[in-house]
Amino acid sequence: MMMKRFLTVLLVCMLMFTLVLSGCGARKEEPKPAPAPAPAPAKVRDTVIIALQGEPTTLDPQFPDDGNMRAVTDNVFERLLEFDGKTLQPKPGLATDIKKINDTTWELTIRDGVKFHNGDSFTAEDAVFSIKRIIDPAYKSQQVSYFSTIKDAKVVAPNKIQVATDGFDALFPKRMARLDMVSKKYVEANKDKVNTQPVGTGPYKVIAWNRGVDIQATAFDGYWGKKPAIKNVKYRFIQEGSTRLAALKAGEIDFAVNMLPEYMKDIPNVKMETGAETYWIRFNQLRGPMVKKEMRLAANYAIDRKALAEALFLGAASPAQGQMGKEGYFGYSSKVKTYPYDKEKAKELLKKAGYNGEVIELVSERGRWLKDGEVTEAVAAMLTDAGFNVKIKFLSWQEWLDTLFTQAKAPALQFSSNGNGFFDIGLMYNTIVHSKGSQSVMKNPEMDKKIEAARKEPDPAKRQAMYDELALYFYDDPFAIPLLTLKDIYGLAKDLEWTPRQDSMITVYEMSFKS
Amino acid sequence: MLKYVIQRLLFTVVVIFGVSILVFVITHLIGDPVKAMLPLQATDAQRAQLAHQLGLDKPIWEQLTEFLGNMIRLDFGVSWWQQVSCLSIVLSKIPTTLVLVGASFVIAIIIAFPMGIIAAYKPDSLLDRILTTASLIGICLPSFWVALMLVLFFAVKLGWFYTSGYGTIRHLVLPAVTLAVVPAGHIAQIVRFSMAEQLNAQYAVTARAKGVKESAVLLKHALKNIMTAVLTIGGMDLAMYLAGEAAAVEVVFGWPGFGSLVVDTISRQDFPLLQAEIFVVAVIICLINLIVDLLYAYFDPRITY
Repeated sequence: MMMKRFLTVLLVCMLMFTLVLSGCGARKEEPKPAPAPAPAPAKVRDTVIIALQGEPTTLDPQFPDDGNMRAVTDNVFERLLEFDGKTLQPKPGLATDIKKINDTTWELTIRDGVKFHNGDSFTAEDAVFSIKRIIDPAYKSQQVSYFSTIKDAKVVAPNKIQVATDGFDALFPKRMARLDMVSKKYVEANKDKVNTQPVGTGPYKVIAWNRGVDIQATAFDGYWGKKPAIKNVKYRFIQEGSTRLAALKAGEIDFAVNMLPEYMKDIPNVKMETGAETYWIRFNQLRGPMVKKEMRLAANYAIDRKALAEALFLGAASPAQGQMGKEGYFGYSSKVKTYPYDKEKAKELLKKAGYNGEVIELVSERGRWLKDGEVTEAVAAMLTDAGFNVKIKFLSWQEWLDTLFTQAKAPALQFSSNGNGFFDIGLMYNTIVHSKGSQSVMKNPEMDKKIEAARKEPDPAKRQAMYDELALYFYDDPFAIPLLTLKDIYGLAKDLEWTPRQDSMITVYEMSFKS
Repeated sequence: MLKYVIQRLLFTVVVIFGVSILVFVITHLIGDPVKAMLPLQATDAQRAQLAHQLGLDKPIWEQLTEFLGNMIRLDFGVSWWQQVSCLSIVLSKIPTTLVLVGASFVIAIIIAFPMGIIAAYKPDSLLDRILTTASLIGICLPSFWVALMLVLFFAVKLGWFYTSGYGTIRHLVLPAVTLAVVPAGHIAQIVRFSMAEQLNAQYAVTARAKGVKESAVLLKHALKNIMTAVLTIGGMDLAMYLAGEAAAVEVVFGWPGFGSLVVDTISRQDFPLLQAEIFVVAVIICLINLIVDLLYAYFDPRITY
């Protein structure tokens, strides 16, 4: 009897404990989405529910370098210039005009009649404050590497500011398209609220952040630009891709980021756009078998890129065009095409190089990028097929980083993925090709000079011509095997309309529901 | 008894100290967090700057003494990734995981005890074999797979529960059931085997000979005697779950608990936060072990401390 009573009491206690705890944890407000598949069709939908991969850690848009946060803050904050979603060129945003005063000074004209969500006007002081805040070493912004050339900013007229850079910076307008504008008054007066209650000038304002559950925003009445079509946004956080897919199919969410190619057939409404990541394999040109030009060319001809894109990514990737980057990036050259797949030519080149079957090490890692391991294995098989004696070595992420950044440890071949925050091919030449670049394992003093000259060239047409020349040169004397450019895959509800952007921004103000 | 508890608590302090030093050394040996924190395109100068900001350019022994000094004051510093006090991040996630793990253990116990007792009642019968096999399957199923199947059926097809998220009972059911599968299997097995053993013991035979009903033998006499074994297994499962074993299930169901936090922390190489997490886990495991040991004495009066 005693025992029975004890067990009953124990069970009841545990049950109550869980109920009480779940009561504490649960927010007062019940999530709105109906779990039943079909919501009443007659009602006009005014809320879009977006599933991100994780919860932002802060909504202070100047602090972290975090895609989950950007998905929210890109709709809440604005920048002096904005990227065009199709051409990737900077265009007017909170500044109506930008002009170069001299090689180290830019002047921007601030737009009139822009209001912050708290009713304050957006002024030149706010712009200067935002720029100075992000480069302030004491603030420790994780985005500071994007703005390393900016030295100072000052107000020169009620609606004009000037920004000083360290030498001529061709990327300056693009940097401005990444720098979110915050309110000087609000940030200074509300240090404790900046992280959780953001005040921007954007089309949406954040109204609630229920930690662990969701972030809610609603259209801002005082917005200076075009009114968004959808009134409310709710962001949810679902780390696992297959769960995002399940939630989309169950009708709990309307928009899911980062879907896998395999999911495409199950998604009600798939949207795809070429993303920012290019898979590539680096040649070690300082020592080992890949020093010889013929070997490097042979490796490029040995790869069937189309097969990789079709078989591994079901079409959600495209063959890289003999260079690293995609159309729309500044400096992308239309003069070079994809290396054709030509196994016989590769074998011929190997013979010409006098390759003796020496082991060629291909270092890679697994799990960082979509199907990175599978791509490495397929590439190794193709190289082996053409006559290379390739040995794959998979390393942990930390060891892999070490071989990427330490010249002395660089293997003959290393798989990596190259992103490009400013959509400018110059960044890639600086870090990978230039002998002083952090990922460089080559030395070509003549080309180093050309890369430096292109970096400093103020005339865009001349600069483009210089990158064309570099692209052609390196097509014949490659520093890498450019493999594939991946596509971003988004899952949308059947009745949601949206066109993905070249800069991967998730713009809620460009979404609408079909009526 | 009080002396025993104090002794154990002192021992706990030693264990936590040792674990913390070990973790500090290991995390600082596996690689350079600065490389993982900045984008691949960052320059060497930017990396050096960040290393300096984080104090990683100091000699390792200097970092270690600084860390231990702060740990004694329960100050784990600020998370590199979130810029908030590490301990507050960890503590804010613990209740969320407690809800989930608590619910899963309630479910596990409700399923496991009847299963084990029924199976033990008629050993080697068909029912016994079915139940024993079922518990074995439960132990062997990967929770990740169970989770996906439950979501597909109960959330996508039937729409009874939410696929993911946090906040209501309808969010809680599927992850709790998924997590309950393994401990339910473990507990059912241990109940089945220890119960069968008890039913053959001298006292059970005597009780039957005195004319005590079989159900009374089972529930009144045998059940209390198997509790020490059940506590050992159940306590271990509970400790593992709270220590982050629940991570896979939390990730699948988008449950914002401690397990998901650990996964994120490791991928971001946030050393201070990882240290705080391991500290809290060590404390929890030591406490659960202590509670289990004290409960032994309750169920088995021969044990005294």
